[in-house]
Amino acid sequence: MKQYLAVPAMVLAFLALMDLAVAATLKLSGDHGALPSLQRYFDYGRSVPGKLDQWIENPDLPENLFDVAWIPDTIAQSERLFAAEDPAPGTLRGYGMSFLAQMMRAAAEQDPALRIDLHGGPAAPPNFAYALFLKDRPNRRSGDVAVLAILSSSLPGMAALSNRSWSFEQPAPTTYPVFWPDGKGGLRPVEPLVTSAAQERGLRHDPEAATAWQRQLAQEDAFYSQVSFGYSFLDQSPLLRLVRRSWAMQTIASREAGILNEEAGYPLTASLQTMVAEFARIAREDGQLPVVYLIQGRDPADADVLRMVQPVLDEQRIPYLATKDLADPRDPTNFGGDGHFKDSMNRIFAEAFRRLLPTIGWNPERTQEQDRRKAASIPEGRPLQ
Amino acid sequence: MIFSEANFWLFFAVVFALYLVLSHRGQNRMLLVASYVFYGAWDWRFLGLIFLSTAIDYLVALRMDREVSQQRRKMLLWVSLAGNLGMLAVFKYLGFFVASFTELLTYAGLRADPVILNIILPVGISFYTFQTLSYTIDVYRRDIRAEPDFLNFALFVAFFPQLVAGPIERATNLLPNVVNPRRITWDGLSRGAVLCLVGLIKKIVIADGVAGSVNAIYANPSPSGLDVLVGTWLFAIQIYCDFSGYTDIARGVSKMLGFDLMRNFAQPYFAANPQEFWRRWHISLSTWLRDYLYISLGGNRHGEWKTYRNLMLTMLLGGLWHGAAWNFVLWGAYQGGLLSVHRALAGRNGHAGEGVRRSAGDWLWRVVRIALFFQVVCYGWLLFRAQSFGQIRDFTGRLLDITAPGWSTLTFPALPQATLAGIMLLFIWDLCNEVSGNSRFYEALPAPARAALWSGMLYFLAFGLTTTTTAFIYFQF
Repeated sequence: MKQYLAVPAMVLAFLALMDLAVAATLKLSGDHGALPSLQRYFDYGRSVPGKLDQWIENPDLPENLFDVAWIPDTIAQSERLFAAEDPAPGTLRGYGMSFLAQMMRAAAEQDPALRIDLHGGPAAPPNFAYALFLKDRPNRRSGDVAVLAILSSSLPGMAALSNRSWSFEQPAPTTYPVFWPDGKGGLRPVEPLVTSAAQERGLRHDPEAATAWQRQLAQEDAFYSQVSFGYSFLDQSPLLRLVRRSWAMQTIASREAGILNEEAGYPLTASLQTMVAEFARIAREDGQLPVVYLIQGRDPADADVLRMVQPVLDEQRIPYLATKDLADPRDPTNFGGDGHFKDSMNRIFAEAFRRLLPTIGWNPERTQEQDRRKAASIPEGRPLQ
Repeated sequence: MIFSEANFWLFFAVVFALYLVLSHRGQNRMLLVASYVFYGAWDWRFLGLIFLSTAIDYLVALRMDREVSQQRRKMLLWVSLAGNLGMLAVFKYLGFFVASFTELLTYAGLRADPVILNIILPVGISFYTFQTLSYTIDVYRRDIRAEPDFLNFALFVAFFPQLVAGPIERATNLLPNVVNPRRITWDGLSRGAVLCLVGLIKKIVIADGVAGSVNAIYANPSPSGLDVLVGTWLFAIQIYCDFSGYTDIARGVSKMLGFDLMRNFAQPYFAANPQEFWRRWHISLSTWLRDYLYISLGGNRHGEWKTYRNLMLTMLLGGLWHGAAWNFVLWGAYQGGLLSVHRALAGRNGHAGEGVRRSAGDWLWRVVRIALFFQVVCYGWLLFRAQSFGQIRDFTGRLLDITAPGWSTLTFPALPQATLAGIMLLFIWDLCNEVSGNSRFYEALPAPARAALWSGMLYFLAFGLTTTTTAFIYFQF
């Protein structure tokens, strides 16, 4: 028996030695700023609180997302820009993520006269973009175009309060509400208890608030799990971090599948359709022109975002631009290595976007006249003298 | 519940713990319940089907064993064939044949309303159907006696490690494992653990790692020629690692429980010709087809042309066994054609497994032939993986038109680094197997070296765990 147990015992000993050696190498190289990609590879498996602590302690870490895209900061910045900008209407105001920013920047490059104003966050799910749109309401003018971007790969995030719960490898801690249909044709937001980076930092010294926040995540966020947020002792071992990474990713993938198949209790399609309808209603109420930008990512497992919202787009006659109509998502040559569209594709989308604008009644010159008319109480339709 | 997921290993831990404390009879009963739980976890409705198949063959074989009249024995055999193949026909092929017939009528200008049959395909039906069929045929041929204990026979049909994707066991091998008391040995445990570890690396690190790139290429409406070439190489690696990984885990888990399952793969990509390939690839299916179909058709006993006919028929049906789609039939025809051409060129006995050559020139020539034949195998995988005849035509054109602009542009997503390393390590592992002629070559290493190897492999497996898990390809067959 001894001889048979010797090999498993040696295997365990070797594993422990290897793990210690890897941990020591990572520590040494980390102290000297060497092997950053290897560091990052092993850091992907840290618990979410472990990653956030690391970002707080080392603000210069590459890919540090701790202070990125908190809604109050974004809106404060928007207010400042709004106050300083040319008050002429017709600005194109986008709410979304990098995909939207790349397309709108390409449009602005093609026509430097376009005025664009972008708000968003990393891989923003529709609830994040919609929350920005709602909170930015005072910073839009009648005659502006409001663009809401919906990214297929971020759809499951509609059931989350923060990227930290469903984007395990890059858990941007920024928070946003989850919107549920209110049964009266509108949406009921569940606001997160933590809304700013300062509040998030403060949790380290306020255990009561931290517990309340954990409790809210556990109750309201469909992706919260102990695998991602608990077992902090696993962070000590590089090997166990690899195991956690796999376990967490599988847990998230299975919850995503549940949400996409509408088996997880969150009514994804109904919420998304209501969100799009509400977005268009509010924009129109404020005299703005709504456009929905539908981005179909390259992952074949993604839901077909156009098909999901097509009924409401048709019913409410909401103008939209769907990347799927212009670029086959199955063709990898349309995408860069990081999963974003190539510049050439963004130029194609931008051209289509610019062609769309006049068809929805966007005309900065004419809109300025209308505003002047309104200001002078000149009835609509009467020619200016 | 698939082998590469944690819930299977939790399930197995419970099964193993119970197994340790039970008597042989209790072990068999518990394994049967566990096998039905395992199978029912996919869809409980499948259980009725496997139970029906088990009951038919149990009763038919018992009766056949006692029957002396050859005519009645034959009739009983037909009952089993009709029952098993009937189930396969309904659940696997009916929708396909109805759709093909409708298409044919439409093509001929006749009005045909499409009939949509939403019949769910039970996981692993082709595997256990062939396994029970082989049992009945063996009893008919009087190669074995019928098993009198229904529960033992039910376990032979449903034994969970090999239920959904083989190996397709023969009653001559698996039934004695069931009926006779088994011993859990340290040797069996360690060899089983190694098989599981190798299988998990093949599946998780390699097969799942290349799956994304292969899927992207085969979903791409306009890949480059080099994309098609590399994509097909990668699919060859994927299907090998996926299927042989499954078999390794099935054999490993069985070995820990004291069962010995047959070897299903023997470094198939080191084959230098089609005959050799089929002695190395999915051995349990190729020997099944040989013993129960090819030989029943007459084998090579009735002249050259009938031999070719039998080869073609066997491989066509072998292709169709994989799935209800014309590309599988085409793949079968391609394999049958290769075997026929090889037979015609190499003579009756072929020159398979020419490992006896020793000179450096001979080895070099063999390496060249292996490399060339691998391309021939890969073209077969293109037929196998393609989603339509149109795609086969399109991809073949792109592959061959090397003067087309952009032929050498690679567009698919890069492979994970662990996967790339895994492919290289697997090559070395298979090479050691091949050169030593011993699948347990590692046992020659001193214990500390072995321990270092296993711990390195465990650590490496953890790297590969980060790829997305996919279902085993052969579950759909």
